[in-house]
Amino acid sequence: MSEMNNERFEDLKDAYVLGALPEEERRSFENYLAAHPERQAEIDELGAVASLLAFSPQEQEPSPELRSRVMEVVEAEAEPRRVRGRSTFARVGDFLSVRSLALGAAALLVIGLLSWNVLLQGQVQDLQGQVEDAQNQVKNLQGQVADAQAQQSKTIELKGSWAEQGATAEVASMQGNEIVLVARNMPSVPEDRTCQIWVIKGDVPEPSGLFQPDGNGTATPITNSIKKADVIAVTVEPAGGSEQPTSDPVLLAEL
Amino acid sequence: MPERGRQYLILADEDLISLVEAADAEAFATLYDRHSRAAFSLAYRMMGERQASEDLTQDAFLKVWRGASSYRAERGSVRTWILSIVHNRGIDQIRSQASRRRTQEKIEASAPRSQPSEAFAETLRNSQREQVREALNTLPPEQLKILELAYFSGYTHVEISDLLRLPLGTVKGRMRLGLKKIRDYFESRDAAVPR
Repeated sequence: MSEMNNERFEDLKDAYVLGALPEEERRSFENYLAAHPERQAEIDELGAVASLLAFSPQEQEPSPELRSRVMEVVEAEAEPRRVRGRSTFARVGDFLSVRSLALGAAALLVIGLLSWNVLLQGQVQDLQGQVEDAQNQVKNLQGQVADAQAQQSKTIELKGSWAEQGATAEVASMQGNEIVLVARNMPSVPEDRTCQIWVIKGDVPEPSGLFQPDGNGTATPITNSIKKADVIAVTVEPAGGSEQPTSDPVLLAEL
Repeated sequence: MPERGRQYLILADEDLISLVEAADAEAFATLYDRHSRAAFSLAYRMMGERQASEDLTQDAFLKVWRGASSYRAERGSVRTWILSIVHNRGIDQIRSQASRRRTQEKIEASAPRSQPSEAFAETLRNSQREQVREALNTLPPEQLKILELAYFSGYTHVEISDLLRLPLGTVKGRMRLGLKKIRDYFESRDAAVPR
């Protein structure tokens, strides 16, 4: 297979958006695309034309049983996911929003105090007490946020071809049991691809989270325990993820 | 229908996806009801029989449920995203199995058709579908055939070249011209390509 360059990219882009490149050629095309993000918009536009074909088949009605089967799985997974979704980030977010609320409440109370000072001198002391309580609450919450941030200390850096291109990725342990992958400066991936995290124990890779790189950095919870893992890796997979890795890792850390 | 369920009906797909990301099963059910028919139709066109098509549709919607955070609005509509998942998973499945259907298509591939494609012959329901149908009808049959073999049947350009006994350059050229003609159809009507 000849090396990917601009001429070859032009030659293959139509087959690419139709999903008609063999695996190796597709990977080579995508690596070139990742290294030339300025071409992404052109591929997105061409991909939109190709994806119109999806609207064209004669309409078929899925069975009601299919809906029942899908919803059965979804409803069984909904509650555990909601619990998992309340990650450390969410809790930190809660702290911050409670802090904001408390600050807002304190500000309102101060304004209230000024008015009541004129009208109801007798109640001023009570209100000041409330303001102090609110301020103490803010201090407590700030302490909890600082504790949470301090516990984000165990990190493992991932290496690999994307790291060589300037991406940084770390596995961070939050509060001892929450594990997230923090990634920055990642190359963009095509519309129909996604980054997938794998926790590998022995030679068995377990799908452990999906994320779409963006310019601002991402933090993705790792959904499997890494306690007995040998390797954590990131691959580029078809949108929605894969059961098994279908491409070589772009980031990797041996534990 | 419960009041909450009725409220979901007025939400845009993008709002529903945000709720799905937060594990809201009812928001997911609304998305399923909106797009399962289009997804199943595409799956059926690719797989050719009901059971495999239902399995593919189920697989794709569970990917939507579990991977809602990977949706990016700037890259297209939720509907297009869902269909792209069906398409990608379908291609993977078709390529991972020696399909009897492929053998059948191999026999049919060289036979001329009386119409550009029987798949596009039926009157389609919504305007987008109608526009796409019209755009595809502007394609010469030899271009349409190659787009269909690639997109719906998962053949690579090299396999299409072998199947139709055409030079690889011709296959690539017809792919390029076919896609260009679809885009030109919308541009000539001052319409954006639907995304």
